[in-house]
Amino acid sequence: MRLRGVGVLHLAVALSMSQLPADAQTTGSTQASQSANIPRTRDGKPDLSGIWQGFNTANDNLLSHSASKDGPAGFGVVDGDEIPYRPEALARRQENFADRATRDTEARCYLPGVPRITYMPFPFQIVQMPDVTTVLYEYVHAIRHIYTNGSPHPRGPIEWWMGDSRGRWEGDTLVVDVVHFNADTWFDRTGNFHSEALHVVERYSLMDADHIDYEVTIEDPKVFTRPWKMRMVLYRRKEPNFQLLDYDCYAFEWEKYYPYPGL
Amino acid sequence: MRLQQTMRALTIGAAFVWMSASLSGQGAAPQRPAPKPWPPTLTPDGQPDVQGSWRPVIGGTHSLDPAKSGAADFEERITGVVKPNPSRIVDPPDGHIPYQPWAAALQKELAAVYENPTKPEHIDTQTRCLVPGVPRMYYFPTFRILQPPGSVVFVWDEYHVFRVIPLDGRPHVAANVKLWMGDGRGRWEGNTLIVDTTNLNAKSRLDVVGDFFSDKAHIVERFIFVDANTMNYEATITDPDVFTRPWTMRVAQRRMPDAEMWEWACHEGERDAAHTSSKISDSDTEKK
Repeated sequence: MRLRGVGVLHLAVALSMSQLPADAQTTGSTQASQSANIPRTRDGKPDLSGIWQGFNTANDNLLSHSASKDGPAGFGVVDGDEIPYRPEALARRQENFADRATRDTEARCYLPGVPRITYMPFPFQIVQMPDVTTVLYEYVHAIRHIYTNGSPHPRGPIEWWMGDSRGRWEGDTLVVDVVHFNADTWFDRTGNFHSEALHVVERYSLMDADHIDYEVTIEDPKVFTRPWKMRMVLYRRKEPNFQLLDYDCYAFEWEKYYPYPGL
Repeated sequence: MRLQQTMRALTIGAAFVWMSASLSGQGAAPQRPAPKPWPPTLTPDGQPDVQGSWRPVIGGTHSLDPAKSGAADFEERITGVVKPNPSRIVDPPDGHIPYQPWAAALQKELAAVYENPTKPEHIDTQTRCLVPGVPRMYYFPTFRILQPPGSVVFVWDEYHVFRVIPLDGRPHVAANVKLWMGDGRGRWEGNTLIVDTTNLNAKSRLDVVGDFFSDKAHIVERFIFVDANTMNYEATITDPDVFTRPWTMRVAQRRMPDAEMWEWACHEGERDAAHTSSKISDSDTEKK
């Protein structure tokens, strides 16, 4: 069983490494088209609506890691389990790691960027309409508006925490192109980082009614020597009457004063 | 000292005005709203289709009684000319919030010091970038209504908050779960959406001058769609711990062009709450 698992992992790595970023764009839709039993909207698109969550340790560390006081052990979500830093960027990543407690903007409860918001350990809700897919996140009430009406990214330079998202359907895969980031968010708590030149392409493909194959291509020539990919499964929250609650962590230190102290 | 503080308030106020102006102007080129049919068409699940962008006709959260924005208050203080603004409160008929005496005293005390805060709690929640909550989100910024099958979704760019209101009659979440935007359950009666809202954490005040309710509050909201471009928002607030009787506010809303919503990050850039007064100590000092 264990050996078989390793074999599958190796196969997946080999497959992913043989793919160029361009031809990788067909992978998701190929997989999705194999699944006939997926919910569809009235316009025939796969219906991603619902509440989802990634159950993994990617927010702790994108790469495979042992258990530590920082959290549980976990499988890596990066193809090849390696992030192709440029040499000078690798040095910065090591500094980030050393100062992770103070440098990670998650500690200040800032908007965590894309794709990190997807694998924060909180549920999120997709509201899919024909012209715009809105994603509502329990974490700090973050919202993304993924326009699927053919509109282009606004002209930059723009530096947003969550970037600007424009989506399109390639077969049964929702492909979201995200640009206009700032350089202040990380990918995880170990200091994996990017610059404002970050370009993210997310691919959401329903595997069946309750699972999304989520694949992300990361491109940032200032920090990485080549594009690289992460991939994970997003799971539908199936509990009856499940709904998003809230986690506005930046407010915790002020709550005691409101509406009035002691009230 | 006083002048210095006023200047600070001015700067912050101006920054807010600039922010809202630039934000609202940023999206795709403004277009006239396409004429919407009235009576409304129905969504596939049978809801009156009221989707699109809406905004209060008179926005502002400086005070409810009278209805006044921060900018209007600012103008009054500069010019000395007090404009007769009606109260947002339509019941009781006198337009005043029916506070119990102790609660009225708390609010009056806050209203007297908000300009020159000396304690952390004197600073309005909105200045701290905290979620303004329900009903406050309905009397200043633009919001978008989405109607996926089985629910009504409200989305704001300001404070990046949202509400998902299920229409299936499910029960509220457990009473010990308190939420910034409360827990809403909706139903349509004709062209009126009625939302029963509980589980409010009540951390957001109702306005800058300290109006408030407690986490025992129960709000019944009515979104009364009058024609294709007009909606009246009414919120009836019951809270026996704070008020002598239920009371109702009304905010007229109009349809806006469907502009894109762009990122609004307040907390991430927040530097000024602690600078609104040099007299504030406690933990509310320069932190960033």
